Amino acid sequence: MADFLSGYSIQSWLESCPQGYLEDTDYGHGAGEKEPEEMLGNDTFREDAIRTTVQLVVGERAALAASSGLVNAAPDDSSKMFLATQTLDEARHVEIFTQRLLDLGVRKDDLDSTISRYANPNLVKFAEVLLEKVDKKDFIAGVVGQNIVLEGMAFSVFEMMHATNDGTNPKFAHTLSGTIADERRHVGFGENRIGSLIKEHPEKKAEIQKMQQDMTYHMLATFADSFKANSDVVEEAHSQSSPDAKAAVYHGVDLNKADASEMEAVLSDTVLGEFKTRLGRIGLEYLSPAA
Amino acid sequence: MNDPLIDSDRFTADRQKYELTDTGFNEVPKKYRKFYRKWKGKGDELADNEVLCPVCLVVIRSARSLRPGDRVYCMPCMTRLTVAEEDGMLVARVVY
Repeated sequence: MADFLSGYSIQSWLESCPQGYLEDTDYGHGAGEKEPEEMLGNDTFREDAIRTTVQLVVGERAALAASSGLVNAAPDDSSKMFLATQTLDEARHVEIFTQRLLDLGVRKDDLDSTISRYANPNLVKFAEVLLEKVDKKDFIAGVVGQNIVLEGMAFSVFEMMHATNDGTNPKFAHTLSGTIADERRHVGFGENRIGSLIKEHPEKKAEIQKMQQDMTYHMLATFADSFKANSDVVEEAHSQSSPDAKAAVYHGVDLNKADASEMEAVLSDTVLGEFKTRLGRIGLEYLSPAA
Repeated sequence: MNDPLIDSDRFTADRQKYELTDTGFNEVPKKYRKFYRKWKGKGDELADNEVLCPVCLVVIRSARSLRPGDRVYCMPCMTRLTVAEEDGMLVARVVY
């Protein structure tokens, strides 16, 4: 186990992340890149971008609270070191998505009220389920909730958003690329560390599976709310897009042509499929929120 | 088990060699970048020297063709994997 954990060093993180894919970036994107004028000049599109970005800030604030809280609950120094790097990753994500709100025209004085107004209540409850485990210093449940459920969701959401923005908003697509790279390490830590720990603590399985079930319920409710809220925006975006626009394919669905319900379906199916696979690999059973 | 990423003739003399070049993957330190590439999703056919990391969905590339039993390492997510055969295809299984 010592060899496996030795990869979780600050040095590895420095070489891969700040000295690697984040080198020369400015709040996660290329210097000088800006949000597209077509979006900033359209109140509907701009408000939708603000609403979406607020959910990212809320999710990343939860991830920051969870990863920093788990540092002191970790049973070994290597896990503490990794979670310290993850804490900085999550703080960076909070910062870059908050910066995006400012870039979208939210005034600094209005940040908190904007986040309160648009934060999805189900996403807040999703975070509360996780943070309850972290507050109890329950390392195994906390890491499953944070690095497998929350990060697994974020990984798929970011990939989908990246596919949507790749051809139309290079600034935001580049911001997302860096966060996706960070999420790879986070889900890897979740699976690798818990994969061995869960074998040593099989008595924890039922409680962790119940937590996953509750988090999944709130996650699916968040998706339903979000896609319902932007169904008109999706239609308007499709009506304005060029027929020659490059397809934005995500798991076989062209997001430039799909309606909001098709987008919700492909995202939910992808995230739940990933949950089942990831939990199964570490010896946990996926519990459907409908069960 | 053996590790074809370590160029040992003992294990790899009869395997096809591949010249690895940088694919633009930038999520690991420069000297390791040629060993990985981004997965393009379903329909992205993997070569004999490639296997998909099931944890972070990055394609791992070897300088030699891969075989069941080979050990590979996914540096982007720091996962140790073993190559296995499933339905006639090479897949990677996580080693915990």
